[in-house]
Amino acid sequence: MSAHNDGLPEDAAGMNLMLHALVDGELDAAAAMAVERRIAADPKLAAEHARVMALLGAVATLPKPQVSDSFSARIAAMAAVGNVEVLRPKAQPAQAKPARTRWSTRNFGSFDWRAMAASIMISAVLASGATQWAMQPGATDSFAAGVASGHQRSLLATSPVDVVSSDRHTVKPWLDARLGLSPPAPDMAKDGFALIGGRVEVIGGRAVPALVYRHREHLITLVAEPQNAGAVTDPVDLSEGGFSLVQWSDGAFSYWAISDMERPELEDFVARFRAAVVTG
Amino acid sequence: MLSSDARADRFSEVVMPHLADALSLARWLIGNATDAEDVVQDACMKAHASIASYAGGNARAWLLTIVRNSCYTWLARNRPRSIVSVGDLGDLDEMTAARAVDVPDSENPEASLIAKPDTAALEAAIAALPQPFRETLVLRDINGLAYRDIAAMLGVPIGTVMSRLARARGLLISDLGRAQ
Repeated sequence: MSAHNDGLPEDAAGMNLMLHALVDGELDAAAAMAVERRIAADPKLAAEHARVMALLGAVATLPKPQVSDSFSARIAAMAAVGNVEVLRPKAQPAQAKPARTRWSTRNFGSFDWRAMAASIMISAVLASGATQWAMQPGATDSFAAGVASGHQRSLLATSPVDVVSSDRHTVKPWLDARLGLSPPAPDMAKDGFALIGGRVEVIGGRAVPALVYRHREHLITLVAEPQNAGAVTDPVDLSEGGFSLVQWSDGAFSYWAISDMERPELEDFVARFRAAVVTG
Repeated sequence: MLSSDARADRFSEVVMPHLADALSLARWLIGNATDAEDVVQDACMKAHASIASYAGGNARAWLLTIVRNSCYTWLARNRPRSIVSVGDLGDLDEMTAARAVDVPDSENPEASLIAKPDTAALEAAIAALPQPFRETLVLRDINGLAYRDIAAMLGVPIGTVMSRLARARGLLISDLGRAQ
């Protein structure tokens, strides 16, 4: 397979994902155009594209469930009464099992609906600091989710960085020129964490600098969200869903380090990074 | 805390417009329309109780998250064997990654064969998908959520959503192609 130099994956599996992302309108204009060019040039991709479009057309013709008048009246009445007890159709299940697993696990086990409702409330309250960053809509959590999806996309892309350099004197000016600021970018190659470059992430509508380090075969994305005289906070572990994520602040930046490394290794990175920043 | 009038107003804005989506998700996760109504009603009670925690943003995704949780609570009670554990999911994703490349040509039917399947065949093919693939496909292709919303709801990275979706569609395509 020849290199296309269009920033898209060169392998068939990665390109297949991009094809679906195109169909779903999840690509920006530049990426969409690049994928369309690949489709035009590759009969196999074009055939797959036609199959996916045909399937989506077929799925769209499936009958939608009807919301019966009686059903929506029942739901509306429940809300109007404002008391969920009134319309609870059946007695409480007598056999509610004690399967009270960690409530951030994917399947909620079989605890009863009161516990469920309560846990929804609790998780909303705890959202800013809890481990559920990928599941909850709070501000901190959506930033964490943004960091996570940015990291994920960078792994899918041909290159995880926009500026390739192991030299912080190249990376910092590059970020400065684009954002008017740049975070500390210590070279930690002697600690086993090599700076390989930087990129700009857009998270929650804001452009923020990100550094990329490599540790053996793993990549670490370090997003540095600028703060105006923000609080200094110690590292907090927000790992979830197959990624390790650690967040801390030094007053000037709020840092988010994410990687598929084990958490102790990522914590080691964080400790070394903080030490390197202090000693300049 | 909200007054009960404000609660009712917000409920009718946030929940009521998305009942059809809620029913269709529940139907696909649980497998039949009657139980789906019960589960959605249960989910609406939870939504009502926690309406104060709705912080703006995509109301459909917010409601469907609650519906999905209600479905799994229901399944755990009524069909304990159908629940897929987290470990199984990891295996599935690995399997997906390993199988995603080089599908044999026999599983690459002409697009025209897929464009007009009979409804029953298509519904059967979707129902036969392994649960994580079915769930991702329904959230995207039937409920119309964005990758980002699905990733947040399932608590998985966007890349996992993408690979499950591609795998789900691939399975449907080869299933429908074979059925012709």
